[in-house]
Amino acid sequence: MSREKLARACLHRLTNAGFDKAQCAVTDSETHELSAEAGSLNLLRTNFDTEIRLLGIADHKRASISINGADDAAIDAGIQDLLNLVRGSEPDEAYDIAPGQAPESFSCGPSEPDYDSMYDRIDEILEYTRATYPVINMRSAGATFNRSQTRFLNSNGVDFESDMSRYDVGIGFASKEGAATSSMMGTGYSAFDLNEQVKDCAYIDELFRQSTEQIKTKPVPAKFLGEMIITPHCLHSFIGFLLGKIVDYDLISGTSIYKDKLNQQVASEKLSIHSRPVSANTVGGYFVTSDGFKAEDVTILDAGVLKSYQLSLYGANKTGLSRAVNSGGCYFVDPGDTSLDEIIKGTKQGVLIGRFSGGRPNDRGDFSGVAKNSYYVEDGKIQYPISETMVSGNLIDLLANVEAVSSELIHFGRSASPWVKVSGITVS
Amino acid sequence: MPDTHQAITDIDLHTYSNLFSSYTELRLQENRSQQIALLNGEVFSNTKNSGKGVSARVYAQGVWGFASEPKLTSDAIHNTIEAATRNARFMAARAGREDAALPVIRASLNSDFTTDKPRINQQELLAFLKKIDAHITRSYSDLTSRTVVLQCLDMEKKFYNSEGSSGHNITTRTLIRVSLAANNSDGEPIELRHAFGGLGQFEDVFENPEELYPEIEELYQHLCNKKSAVIAVSGYHDVIFDTDLAGILAHEAIGHTTEADLVRAGSVAGDYLGQQVAPEMVTLVDFANTLAGETLPVPVYMDDEGVESKDTVIIDKGILKRFMHNKETAEYFETAPTGNARAYEFSDEPLVRMRNTAILPGTDKIADMIASIEDGYYLMRPSNGQADTTSEFMFGVQLGYEIKHGKLSHAITDTTISGVAFDMLKEITMISDQMTWSCAGMCGKKQLIPVGLGGPAIKTKVYIGGQ
Repeated sequence: MSREKLARACLHRLTNAGFDKAQCAVTDSETHELSAEAGSLNLLRTNFDTEIRLLGIADHKRASISINGADDAAIDAGIQDLLNLVRGSEPDEAYDIAPGQAPESFSCGPSEPDYDSMYDRIDEILEYTRATYPVINMRSAGATFNRSQTRFLNSNGVDFESDMSRYDVGIGFASKEGAATSSMMGTGYSAFDLNEQVKDCAYIDELFRQSTEQIKTKPVPAKFLGEMIITPHCLHSFIGFLLGKIVDYDLISGTSIYKDKLNQQVASEKLSIHSRPVSANTVGGYFVTSDGFKAEDVTILDAGVLKSYQLSLYGANKTGLSRAVNSGGCYFVDPGDTSLDEIIKGTKQGVLIGRFSGGRPNDRGDFSGVAKNSYYVEDGKIQYPISETMVSGNLIDLLANVEAVSSELIHFGRSASPWVKVSGITVS
Repeated sequence: MPDTHQAITDIDLHTYSNLFSSYTELRLQENRSQQIALLNGEVFSNTKNSGKGVSARVYAQGVWGFASEPKLTSDAIHNTIEAATRNARFMAARAGREDAALPVIRASLNSDFTTDKPRINQQELLAFLKKIDAHITRSYSDLTSRTVVLQCLDMEKKFYNSEGSSGHNITTRTLIRVSLAANNSDGEPIELRHAFGGLGQFEDVFENPEELYPEIEELYQHLCNKKSAVIAVSGYHDVIFDTDLAGILAHEAIGHTTEADLVRAGSVAGDYLGQQVAPEMVTLVDFANTLAGETLPVPVYMDDEGVESKDTVIIDKGILKRFMHNKETAEYFETAPTGNARAYEFSDEPLVRMRNTAILPGTDKIADMIASIEDGYYLMRPSNGQADTTSEFMFGVQLGYEIKHGKLSHAITDTTISGVAFDMLKEITMISDQMTWSCAGMCGKKQLIPVGLGGPAIKTKVYIGGQ
């Protein structure tokens, strides 16, 4: 049965079963992964799946289920399950589905994987590291082609179709010389093709070089209050607090420190963050929100002013605030006007942090964690790689205390980030 | 004849062995999960998911081909074996090694942790949660927010491989997660979370909501103490890890560094095999399924490569004795597999994963351990954790207290602790005589997987983040 036929049949059965409002998404997905472990290519994995996601509302009670690879009997059983979940639940006027919108089809990315390119790119990066950085242990390296084709329908007449694909490339590595070992480092990116060498994407070649010198580390000279230059690879660890506190759960529960802060200055004017799932430059975005709206790009933080919460239709109905025009993710941070070199030269005492391994910050934004793959910076120069170094501070203050944002930007496909320098960090 | 969907129980995997051309694993799997979340008494989430399918993995000349399909039909099983074989041949043609081989092992083990009791329905589940929520509302008027979340996960796997290993195993887990939030004395939000439950389906894990009330009361009292919490002094301190934290210590700080795939990737533990890495009082084991006659939180009897799961004694009386292996790492390190190869979903390949990891109890009393510290911290509940090939670890701590002059003092605000595992082990000076297990653990390493974490209380030294 085609996706469209299956989705229409499911929606028909949902409305016949007595749901007042119903939503159905049928997704055919395929994954082709070619990966290496311990420096050798050793796995080709192909997965196919068909997922059916059903949501029903009856008497203002709501439930959802997800089943896969289902035949007629399993779909009937799933709908019966959904009815039981709804009947056993409680009513809430805030439950709803998206209103009717003009039908639309969306597509991006190649339609088929190119195994030879996937193999060659990974083989090439393994060869390159062996030849150029012999102390690096490539724990994992892989290229994955992901494709998902979805038909999204609801009982208000929503009818969206999407066909999206991309390549995801990921690597994990550490350096080892004798008994000395560097910290693990991992990164990745998404792309519509594999034309570029892996080492030339996402700053990877420089990360390799840094890993080799991070075999020999030492602690910072003494505890100090100083600056922190956050690399693009770990910026999300520090902006994630804000992004995680402007969603349904925190705003409905009222525990978000950002409640009542819309259109107010919550961060430095040097900082602007956008969520861009539909931009032509985004790889791995989405076109339809989880509650059935056509997705749009949105600015979250405009020169430090909070411009949008990330509320679903339900969250918006519960709080009386506006629904976000997308479901979040695909975060792009604007570059600044200072080069990374100048940022380092302007640093009196601080750390350049490559990876943050930290505990979950508390609701006030207090954080602490270990600076991994990081460097001590003093008098405008990177001094040496560090170990056993803890950084701590407050994430709300951190966003307000942005000293500089680099003009260089690293693209990861699904996101892009610059280097961001902040002050007021305790380093110990 | 139409190619009809079948139940996992009804499918005889042996009949497909004629399609095997080299070492082949065939696995049918269904993960069934349910979540009901109450946020301040209202239904925030009400979902059920089922993901099922067939996977095959084929080993040829040192490389793997893997394939999966979401259908439990004869055609799908045929197609999946053929696709995995094709994938293995593609890899072998380009990266194969003639000398590659895997250890030959045969096992046949079954287990079933589904309930024998009649299943209760959605209304009864919700009523159970609402009763807990009503108790919290009635008892604690100063909370700003509360959540009560039910999470159920059943994992059913049927396995057969070309060496004749076979098994049908159903592992179940039911948790109720409670979180309480309040404002501290400065009007700032504070929160504490706790997970109840463990191995088994709802009917076997929970009987009466009232059984949870004493521990919820304890959680609330800690939250009250946290209202006037002080910030820990950053630096290197004497600490006691309570049992919950000792479990994550065993898993994150030591366990991950001794997974053989990470050892092969350069983990420092590789240099320490056979060496004294801790005082003699320290023994650390990754248990397969049972300890002292008791079934552990995540019992694994046969792994996803068809190897009987056995306990792996990683540190024995202070000496690093063994790593955790799958078949491939066992071959590489010229040892026997330990039954640690586990996959999360039907579409996942097995990886080296822990099962139930714990440091064994010692002889000390917790009261004596606290009394032995002049200025330090008693760390009780973790929030998250990470490990590294260097053995440098980090845990978030959501609940802890100062120890001043041998006595518990103020609660501390959320903090992070870190250390180098193989240094920290040497600093262990006391281990309590009682241990507990947590079944709420979910470990992430390419895939998620449920894990059991256990331990006694431990006295050692670590770095604490703070002011």
